[in-house]
Amino acid sequence: MAEYQAPLRDMRFVLNEVFEADKLWASLAGTRDIIDPETAEAILEEASKITSSLIAPLSREGDEEGCSWNEAGVTTPKGYKEAYKTFIEGGWVGLSGNANYDGMGMPKMLGAQYEEMLYSSDIAFGLYACLTSGACLAIDAHATEELKQKYLPKMYSGEWAGAMDLTEPHSGTDLGMIRTKAVENGDGSYSITGTKIFITGGEQDLSENIIHLVLAKLPGAPAGSRGISLFLVPRNSVDANNVVGENNKVTCGSIEHKMGIKASATCVMNFDGAQGWLVGEPNKGLMAMFTMMNYERLSVGIQGFAAAERSYQNAVDYAKDRIQGRAATGAAQADKEADPIIVHPDVRRMLMTMKAYNEGSRAFSTYVASFLDTAKFSDNADEKKHAEAMVALLTPIAKAYMTDRALDSCVAGQQVFGGHGYIREWGQEQLVRDTRITQIYEGTNGIQSLDLMGRKIVSNSGKLYELFANEVAEFIEENRDNAALQSTISPLAAAMERLSDVTEYVIKATAEDANAVGAASVEYLELFGLTAYAYMWAKMAKVAVANVEGDTSGFYDTKVKTANFFFSRLLPKTVSLSESIRSGSVDMMALDQDAF
Amino acid sequence: MPEYKAPLREIDFVMKELLDSDKHYESFPGGAEASPEMVDAIIGEGAKFCEEVLSPLNKVGDEEGCTLKDGKVTTPTGFKEAYTQFVEGGWPTLSADPAQGGQGLPESINIVISEMIGTANWSWGMYPGLSHGAVNTVSEFGTDEQKETYLNKLVSGEWTGTMCLTEPHCGSDLGILRSKAEPNADGSYSITGTKIFISAGDHDMADNIIHIVLARLPDAPKGTKGISLFIVPKFLPETAADNAVTCGSLEHKMGIHGNSTCVMNFDGSKGWLIGPENKGLNCMFTFMNTARIGTALQGVGAAEGSFQGALAYAKDRLAMRSLTGVKNPDGPADPIIVHPDVRRMLLTQKAFAEGSRAMCYFSAQKADLLHGAETEEARKEADDMLGFMTPILKAFITEVGYEAANHGVQVFGGHGFISEWGMEQIVRDTRISLLYEGTTGIQALDLLGRKVLMTQGAALKQFTKMVHVFCKENAENEEMKQFVEPLLTLNKEWGDLTMKIGMSAMKNRDEVGSASVDYLMYSGYVTMAYFWARMALIAQQNLANGTTEEGFYTAKVQTAQFYFQRLLPRTKGHAAMMVAGADSVMAMDEENFSF
Repeated sequence: MAEYQAPLRDMRFVLNEVFEADKLWASLAGTRDIIDPETAEAILEEASKITSSLIAPLSREGDEEGCSWNEAGVTTPKGYKEAYKTFIEGGWVGLSGNANYDGMGMPKMLGAQYEEMLYSSDIAFGLYACLTSGACLAIDAHATEELKQKYLPKMYSGEWAGAMDLTEPHSGTDLGMIRTKAVENGDGSYSITGTKIFITGGEQDLSENIIHLVLAKLPGAPAGSRGISLFLVPRNSVDANNVVGENNKVTCGSIEHKMGIKASATCVMNFDGAQGWLVGEPNKGLMAMFTMMNYERLSVGIQGFAAAERSYQNAVDYAKDRIQGRAATGAAQADKEADPIIVHPDVRRMLMTMKAYNEGSRAFSTYVASFLDTAKFSDNADEKKHAEAMVALLTPIAKAYMTDRALDSCVAGQQVFGGHGYIREWGQEQLVRDTRITQIYEGTNGIQSLDLMGRKIVSNSGKLYELFANEVAEFIEENRDNAALQSTISPLAAAMERLSDVTEYVIKATAEDANAVGAASVEYLELFGLTAYAYMWAKMAKVAVANVEGDTSGFYDTKVKTANFFFSRLLPKTVSLSESIRSGSVDMMALDQDAF
Repeated sequence: MPEYKAPLREIDFVMKELLDSDKHYESFPGGAEASPEMVDAIIGEGAKFCEEVLSPLNKVGDEEGCTLKDGKVTTPTGFKEAYTQFVEGGWPTLSADPAQGGQGLPESINIVISEMIGTANWSWGMYPGLSHGAVNTVSEFGTDEQKETYLNKLVSGEWTGTMCLTEPHCGSDLGILRSKAEPNADGSYSITGTKIFISAGDHDMADNIIHIVLARLPDAPKGTKGISLFIVPKFLPETAADNAVTCGSLEHKMGIHGNSTCVMNFDGSKGWLIGPENKGLNCMFTFMNTARIGTALQGVGAAEGSFQGALAYAKDRLAMRSLTGVKNPDGPADPIIVHPDVRRMLLTQKAFAEGSRAMCYFSAQKADLLHGAETEEARKEADDMLGFMTPILKAFITEVGYEAANHGVQVFGGHGFISEWGMEQIVRDTRISLLYEGTTGIQALDLLGRKVLMTQGAALKQFTKMVHVFCKENAENEEMKQFVEPLLTLNKEWGDLTMKIGMSAMKNRDEVGSASVDYLMYSGYVTMAYFWARMALIAQQNLANGTTEEGFYTAKVQTAQFYFQRLLPRTKGHAAMMVAGADSVMAMDEENFSF
């Protein structure tokens, strides 16, 4: 596997040039005293160093060795423990944490870049840290002051890790059916009993303690998703002085054998009368979880394209090195027995596709992060409200579209290697296996598309959609006369029109057909994602064409060319998607269940 | 782990009803043996073997993998016994020449058996499967003596065979291979070199392994015109002496763990020239088409196997309620098959599995005629059609098979990622089919470059004419309009797009490579549409004539409708992309791919 090189130039381009993060940060009440361009740059540099030199070298062996389980607990692969120790000393787990509890309070736009580097270096390793950050978000938003003070500083420091315990053997997508029980102890705490599965980092040997956030039902709770509460359950009890004591009847029953992310322990967790504390209101557990869901889902999206970025780097390296066949237009290196495969159009097509999607994803995730930041740090109510609405609209796309394209890219990156792509040593097939889970967890991509189509589009008759459409329309209007953007603006406008038409079509169809949402949803999300990426590429092209003259590095010229590729070779898929969606639900639902 | 059930009704539908196999087998001398009773009996027995013996070994093979110890490869538990049973049952001899102990049945029957084997346990199937290449090489190009020495035992399955092409530095570009063949005084050659990615290169199932090795003679011309074929046995047939052919290591792979993928070292091994000097690659291409149908079957199997697993799960797993009202009021939730998106995935798998099967069986009949038709003209016609279909089958079917396998994982949600369920294994196993036997990209160049543009579109016209005739025949059929009209439009557009690319390729040779994969996928979708339209017609006829299988035929029409409405629109995107030109693909400086 080629060495991982953090794409810092591209991250700076997106942050500073396309989205002008410095201006946004200076304008927001909650960030202006926390971050400036120099701090951001220093964090990027440090993150680049630690991920490429400390973590990236672990990923290949981590996959081979995997985690192992016995009754005493879980052992992570060789080197993970030491790396984790060094990693948490850098304070990375608390990067975006609440500064009142020893977090660093950094904005998500920056956090997104850090997460990309972390996941590019090794998804499995990154999960241990990111699950902790996720748990902290929920605790910070909903737990009592006492719990926050007790747990957050230790979690931000990474000394204690976090885990999210939602799924049970019979209920994943449909959490309304969970059976784990919580009974009051009389001292303000609860006794938690039940079995949870698919718990990432549920047990490991990296941190001193693991703080589980567990969904459970109180006695007499309403049936379904409105009767679920959230509890904080430490694996080992913690006394008044924060000294970690005995096991709290929280044990790992086994770990799963999986397709990928093998170095990440996926645990079956048993809670056998474990002591826990309510987080948030009784029966409002799912709601409490949702506050962190937007962050988590963006994070999973980033996981996907981070792996695709690694795959791309390997593929470019290989395509320049591997010699095979001659260029169709005449030998490119006549002194060698063959040309490097990067001369072949189809190899370039695969590389360009990966590049266009990855850079589109980087821009899109930063764009979504900018709304998360405004929603969190602004003191202007209107601005906040608008940002929250954009987050709600764009989050399912960030999770599903970024991971779907990421898998495509990883598969292409494997294909560039030919037969060697199938061999484990090269690392390309691992990236496919590791990325595959991102389409599944944190709500499958099918569920994301229902969230987008049903809750975010249809249920408000397209109100949220209009916010996005207006923003793009404004951009188109502003740049319509920019001659240098001709090959960009008109396909963007056409794609936008197509998306708006299809949106209207589906909203109308739902009036008569309850299945219309589900029948359109997956292709609709893809259509929306592709169109949103067209907007991202137009924004990037705008910056690039303004800077291309006099640029000797080739960076801006490359951006323009990649944008051209995106518009001519990738965007046309919108035509197919729109037609598929318009075929409606009849054919989808016609077949009798037994006729399959 | 999904339990494999051979889809006998589906197989029967495609063979008998769609492709009229009874008449087909009567139409040429070699088909006479294949009476309808005989065919049914063979397929029925084959199905049993696949369901009862091979399917249960699939997971074992994945988990155990192969091991190399003291120079010997051990296959997973049960693989060897299953192979013995397979040989005792006479299965390897099915379509082999009676002169070599074969049963002389048409190749198309073998294809059906191969599909079932491959779906039940692809890794296992590769051991006998790889022998076909060696058998074909020896029977086409071997001397009488070579045939005598090798064929009977290869055909019976006592020995297996391999094809040794790839070397560490050359895969797609065989012209640069380095393995050497030095002549010995006794007319044999001394073969030296290293080959990689040799499937079934070594194993413990058979007494001997016969390698067909590509190597260069001294002073051979450079490039692909200097490659010769050699037959190199692991043990010398006369003396059983060790022939310095060793497995240097086994690859660690994403999937097909049950199959040994070997680095093979030939260290002055004794070999014999087979076929003319320096014409090795030409020789290989004579039977490549048939071999590639075999690889395409991996796509059919991935779609079929993952569909079977996903369907069972989707009917069993309860989550949420149907949007149109509760369907399972007694349970805490409805089975997930009620959800449109789950159905979309299942129907996609189903449409791909059945459409691909039709395409493969159709081509297999052409392979029958290629060898067995009475007139040269009929043989040539079959050859042309098969040559055209081959890259589409190999690349398109494995691509959509891979997609289907991924849907299978997705239907299972988080459980799809867990090994125990077996769904992720299908994805890992089938991923190789897009790479070996010529990657998708190489197949696409073969289709657009060699098969279509180099024949000035003749090969394409042969196919589009067939489609055109079908459309005309059914133009007045009201029920068929939903299929015939879009098919006719696409059939014409296919030719127009080809013209367009041909024109731009005259100006810029990179246009072919820039358009090729989109062209291939487009061609695949249109080809499959043709077969779905034909299947729909048969189903409609049966429904109109009154049938006891109303459910079966209704499902066929509905699946065809799903295919036309939801999947076929993908052609639009591919059409736009293939004519978008080479500029945006080639413009970027190599050094600027990363900053």
